[in-house]
Amino acid sequence: MTDSVHMSHEELSAYVDGELPPVEATAVARHLTTCAHCSAEYQIVLDTVSLLRSELERYSAPDVLRARIRGAIAATPTEPVTDSPVPAVAPNTPRHASRSWTRPAAWAASLLLAAALGSGLTFIAASGNRGANSTADQVLASHVRSLMPDHLIDVRSSDQHNVKPWFNGRLDFSPTVPRLDEQGFPLVGGRVDYIGGRPVAVVVYSRRQHMINVFSWPSPGREEGLTASAANGYNMLHWRTAGTERWVASDLNAAELRSFVTLLERADSPPATGPSLAP
Amino acid sequence: MSVAESLLDRFEQRVVPLVDDAYTLARHLMRDEHDAQDVVQEAYLRAWRYFAGFRGGDERAWLLTIVRNCCYTWRRSRRNQDNVPFDEEQHGGEEGSRYDADARVINDSERGALASALDALPSEFREVLVLREIDGLSYREIAGITGVPIGTVMSRLARGRERLKRALKRTA
Repeated sequence: MTDSVHMSHEELSAYVDGELPPVEATAVARHLTTCAHCSAEYQIVLDTVSLLRSELERYSAPDVLRARIRGAIAATPTEPVTDSPVPAVAPNTPRHASRSWTRPAAWAASLLLAAALGSGLTFIAASGNRGANSTADQVLASHVRSLMPDHLIDVRSSDQHNVKPWFNGRLDFSPTVPRLDEQGFPLVGGRVDYIGGRPVAVVVYSRRQHMINVFSWPSPGREEGLTASAANGYNMLHWRTAGTERWVASDLNAAELRSFVTLLERADSPPATGPSLAP
Repeated sequence: MSVAESLLDRFEQRVVPLVDDAYTLARHLMRDEHDAQDVVQEAYLRAWRYFAGFRGGDERAWLLTIVRNCCYTWRRSRRNQDNVPFDEEQHGGEEGSRYDADARVINDSERGALASALDALPSEFREVLVLREIDGLSYREIAGITGVPIGTVMSRLARGRERLKRALKRTA
C-alpha cells in the first residue's frame, strides 16, 4: 500500500470499522489526507455504514416465542429427576421424528406444576384432588405443547363455520365455537387433543401475540364455578357447566383471560348456565 | 439450591435476555417470521442442552453461533423436503399478517427499500451485515460465528455494503 495507489473498498470498509492493523490504518489515514478520490469514497462508505447501523431492522421477539422458549427449556432438564412420577400424557404422535415433544411436554408440566406448588401460588392441584391435579397437569402440558412448532392447530381457520364442522367425526360431541373477533379475540383454529385418556376439543383463540387454548369435553360432574390458577407465567381457568368440562389456558394476563371467559360463555350458552364470574 | 437450579438461573439471566438478538438474526436469515420463531426456539433448546458444557466466553456470540447453525440446518431440511431452493422461495402470504408480531407501517420508503435490498442478498452477506451493523460484533467474533477466516468477513462486509448502497441508489 502506497500513497499513490487508491484504497480498495475492502480497506476503506475495514478502516471505518477500526479493524485494520495499526500500521495499515495509519497508512490509510495518511492517504486520505492527500487523495480526494479515496477521501470521497471513504465518506460514501462512512455514510453507508451509518445508514445501515441506524436503519437495519431490529426485531423484538414476540411474547409467544418467549413463552415457547420457556416451555421448551422447562421441558428439557439437563438432569432428569427420575423419582418424580411423569404424568400420563396424550398419545400424541409427533409429526417430526426429530422433534419428540410429547414426553418433554410431560416434563414441562411436572416442572411447571412443581414451580407452582413450590412458590405457594394458588393452584388447583394444591387442593389435593387427585383427579383435578392430573387434569390441570395435562391441560397445562397440552397448552405448552401446543406452543411448540406445528403443534398448535390441526384446523387453521378464523371462520367458526370451518372449525366447528371439522370436529364432526373426530369427536363424539360438538364443541361450541363462538366468534369473538369483534371483541378482540380472533379465532385461530382448533385441534383434537387427549386429556385423561379421552379425546377433547381444543379451540384456539388469540389476543395480540398470546394464544388461548379452550379445552372442552362432556362430563357428568356437577356444575362448578370458575377456579383460577397460575403456574410459571401461564394462567388457567376451570369451570363446569351442565354436562361440559371447560379449561382455558394462556399466558395472557389473568384479568383479560377472565373477560375472555365471560365473553365465551355469554356467546355460547344461555345466561342461566353460565359460570358465576363474580369475584 | 441444586446444581440444576443454579444452571437454569444462569441461563435465564445470561442467555434468555438475548432472545431479541437471536430473533433478529433469525428473521434476517430466514426472511420469514414463523420460520424464525421455530429456529430460535430450536436454538434455545440446543443452547440449554449444551449450556452445562459452556465454559465462559461471550454468551451472545455463542448463542448467535447456534442460531445461525440452526438457520442453515432448517433451510437445508426445508430444501430437501420441498425440493425448492430456499433463496428462490417466496415467503409470506395471508397467514403471515395475522400473526405479524412486528406489524409496523413502513412509512419510510428508504427503510422499505433497504429491507428488500438486504433480503435480496445471498445469506453469506446478510449474516455478516447483521452481525456487524446490528450486533456490532468484531471481525474476529463474526469469523468465529460464521466459520470463515477474518479476511473473508472483511471482504463480504465490504461487498455487502457496496451492494446495498448500489441497490438503494437504484431505488432512489
